[in-house]
Amino acid sequence: MVKDSTSIKKRRKNTAPTENEGEGDIYTKVVEFEEKESAQRAAEDDANIYFDLCKNIRNYLAEVLLLKQENTNESRGRIQKGLSESCVMIAVLKKLNRLDKFRTITSRENLNTEKQKVDSTNLQYHNLLYEAAHLASEYTKCKQFKSKDEDIELVPVETFLQLAPELMTQQFKTGELTDAKRHQLHLAMLEWELTQRKAQAQLCDTFEEEKKHLATDIVALKNRLEGIGPKLTAVLEASKPLQEYLGLPIDKIQAEHRLAYLLPEPLYLLYALTDAYKQVYNINMEVEILGDYDEANQWKEMHQSLDMKVDVESEPEADQQEIEEVVEVVKKRRHRKISQVDKNEEKKKVLLESHPLCVQITMNVKSGFVLKVKFMFRPQLNIVTVTSSTDVPNTITANTAREALIGESILNELLDEDFGTESPNPSTSYQLQRVGFTSFAALVPKLGFAYNWAQKICGYDFLSIDKNQCNKPDPACVELIIKSIYRRLKSRIDLALQLQHLEQNLIPTIPDTVEYPKNAESTLTKWVLYSWQNYCQLPATAQLIENEIVQATDLFYSATISRPKATLQAVIAIKNNYPLKSPIFSLTLKYNGEFHGGNSDEIRDMERAVNLGWSTAISSASWVLSAQLRHLCSFLDVYLESLTPSVFPQKTVFFKSVSGRNRRKPFKFRKIGAGI
Amino acid sequence: LRQIIYQKELKMLNKNFYNTILSQTFTPCGNYLVLGDVYGQIWVFHLSKIIKPDNSTQQERLPKNVFTIEEDVQINSLVTTDNFLVVGTEGNVYGYHWKVIKSMKECKPAWKVTIPSNRDKLEKCDVNCMTYNKSTESLYLGCGDNNIYLMKMEAGEIIQTLNGHTNYIHSLCNIGNELVSGGEDGLVNIWDTRIKNIVNKIEPSKNDKIARPELGKWIGAVGFNEDWLVCGGGPRLSMWHLRTLNTSVIFPIENRGIHIAEFKENRILAGGTADYFYNLNINGDVISEIPISSVTIFSAIHQDDPFNVLCLAGSS
Repeated sequence: MVKDSTSIKKRRKNTAPTENEGEGDIYTKVVEFEEKESAQRAAEDDANIYFDLCKNIRNYLAEVLLLKQENTNESRGRIQKGLSESCVMIAVLKKLNRLDKFRTITSRENLNTEKQKVDSTNLQYHNLLYEAAHLASEYTKCKQFKSKDEDIELVPVETFLQLAPELMTQQFKTGELTDAKRHQLHLAMLEWELTQRKAQAQLCDTFEEEKKHLATDIVALKNRLEGIGPKLTAVLEASKPLQEYLGLPIDKIQAEHRLAYLLPEPLYLLYALTDAYKQVYNINMEVEILGDYDEANQWKEMHQSLDMKVDVESEPEADQQEIEEVVEVVKKRRHRKISQVDKNEEKKKVLLESHPLCVQITMNVKSGFVLKVKFMFRPQLNIVTVTSSTDVPNTITANTAREALIGESILNELLDEDFGTESPNPSTSYQLQRVGFTSFAALVPKLGFAYNWAQKICGYDFLSIDKNQCNKPDPACVELIIKSIYRRLKSRIDLALQLQHLEQNLIPTIPDTVEYPKNAESTLTKWVLYSWQNYCQLPATAQLIENEIVQATDLFYSATISRPKATLQAVIAIKNNYPLKSPIFSLTLKYNGEFHGGNSDEIRDMERAVNLGWSTAISSASWVLSAQLRHLCSFLDVYLESLTPSVFPQKTVFFKSVSGRNRRKPFKFRKIGAGI
Repeated sequence: LRQIIYQKELKMLNKNFYNTILSQTFTPCGNYLVLGDVYGQIWVFHLSKIIKPDNSTQQERLPKNVFTIEEDVQINSLVTTDNFLVVGTEGNVYGYHWKVIKSMKECKPAWKVTIPSNRDKLEKCDVNCMTYNKSTESLYLGCGDNNIYLMKMEAGEIIQTLNGHTNYIHSLCNIGNELVSGGEDGLVNIWDTRIKNIVNKIEPSKNDKIARPELGKWIGAVGFNEDWLVCGGGPRLSMWHLRTLNTSVIFPIENRGIHIAEFKENRILAGGTADYFYNLNINGDVISEIPISSVTIFSAIHQDDPFNVLCLAGSS
């Protein structure tokens, strides 16, 4: 109620400010007074008063009650008095209440103010706390701070001191480095570093520029070059007529060379060497490459990516598979066999195939005699095989003569013991075995001969099984081989010419430089080819065969020299390297019995005289055989005449029919006058 | 008796294939065999290595020394004296010191004697056979010019010439003062060296049983001991009594010419162009025969120590 009144009062104050100014003043004074009062008076006291009053009221009320019950006039008077007293008491109560209210208000206000203070200090405290924390974090941050400059690599101090300009470094050179100085130093270093790096970056830029320039230049030049190509071919085309006019077959050579690049290695080597040889020596020899260009190209591409040898080696696995599968059903087995056979055939084919290109060397000697030697490369077997063919002019009709010249045997034994029937590559025998061939010799007719010298001039050098071969002269020299082929060809031609005459029973003419007995009674009556089997059966040849002087690969002929009543049969073995080894005669005399070297000293002497002592130079190829035959004729004369001069009148001139302890006949020929 | 048949193996047809050994001799110590062939070469072999082939290798059986005396000249005869190897070739007689022969170096002759010849130089005179008399130190040479020369070793010169043959001399044999010579003319002459004249002569080819006209009348070999003389050649091998000159035995051996006939103790060694080399006794029986591989044997020599060997050599 007090509140209401005060609020009413205040309202009144507000609504009637003008008239309430004075009231306002009163009110404010009253309020002030009351405030003071509340402050002054002790609360406890007031509390006690209150209780007392309350008590009094209660007592009065009680009294009233009693009085009321009594309901007398005294009581009504007392009640009235009591009423006024109680009203006063209530007023006092009111006052007290008001005072109390004031007190609560002031205490509340005090409380509020205190609260506010506390709050603010609290806030301050919090603020400080936060700041402290903040500072702490800042501190740690600072501590953790790595300045960017730590990442920068700096040159060591000494270098810096040396390299940087004087101004900067001077302060550091003198005196100790305090922290501040160190910092300065650091700064200075950083600065310097910066300047240096800037300079470097600039350099880099300039270089990049240059590089770009150069790149563009290169591109330009390339384009130009590419343009030259077609121009040059145009020029070449234009120059063709000029070439023809001057006789320089450059184009032809180019075409050949183009083909040459497709040759397999060994053949290429051969081609290069023989071409060079031909150019240097300028002899009657031609080297050409035979074969198809496209095929060769194809072959090359096919083999560049594949490793053919892998195919062959996967065979054992294939074989195993075959074996497993054979365990299956019979029908399938048959099928398998067929394919197995096919596979085998294929393998054989693959093994034996040759490179599509081959090198052919053509040699011309004299008129009409041409020898063509063809070199083929077998890549699987890794050897070079040779086939040769000779073109012989029609003047040579005799069988024996042709025999001596025709293809196969002409290149046999060009060098010692080199027949070409065995592959010089030791691994060939394994390869052949795997595929089912028995030996290389059987394949020779198909493949050609695999001569050792052919391998060597093509650059292959196989380890030979026979160690003795190491000591022989190295046939790697193309010159040597070609010269020996030439020599062989020439000597064979000479031999063939002689044989040609001999078949007609004419002993060919011998150059005058050679001495030989010109007059002889005995004459050549027969000349035929002889076979190795027949040769072996003659008793006259037994010693030669036993001593391995004569072999099955030599050429054999039989000549018969006769004089009436007596015949001398001579079996002649001509070795492949005629005339390096002179022909070997084995004589059998049929007169009064059969005599030969095995049972007659005289015949043995005759053999000695006819077999030994001839010149083995190449130039002698044209007359050795004829000279031997002529000598033989006169020997026969001497023998017969010295034996039985009665039957055979003496036509040859000799001094003594026998001489010496061994009673030898005069078989030595010396040219004195007509001859002895 | 053991035998060596000598063969040379070569793969080249060269002159050695057709070689013929005409003469052999042993060194004085008996350890080496010296051979002379028709090409003028002397071959020296280690006997011990050849006799026991198991103990030696192929290398060791090769000749110890080979050298040429004269190119292409037959070495017809070899004789051993104490100091020299005497070699008779065509036209000359050479003497070589034994040390030189046995060493491997170049051999040069110690001395050389040329046979006097009055023919023109077309045909040289072969020294077909030689025999050495130790006691008188003289060498008899039977030569191709139909003469026998006597040469003294110290003098080194030919002292005497003995004429008595009309064709060249094949063989000589000398014991003490008697010298027997056989020649191509078919004569066997018996000489006395003191008087230097023919004492006796035999012509076997005149005897029908002995003669073999298809082979000729030449006497290839003569040999004799105190009582008996054996000779043969074209004619059959026959034995004659020295004093009476009667034919005693005609040896029935198969041959086509005798080149060797020699007395050894009580037996006769004979051989030539035949399939066998014969060892015969004086009755004419064949005691043993040795098969030979060459066509003809021209030389047979034997020794008893240090090795008991008989060496046969000829045309192989």
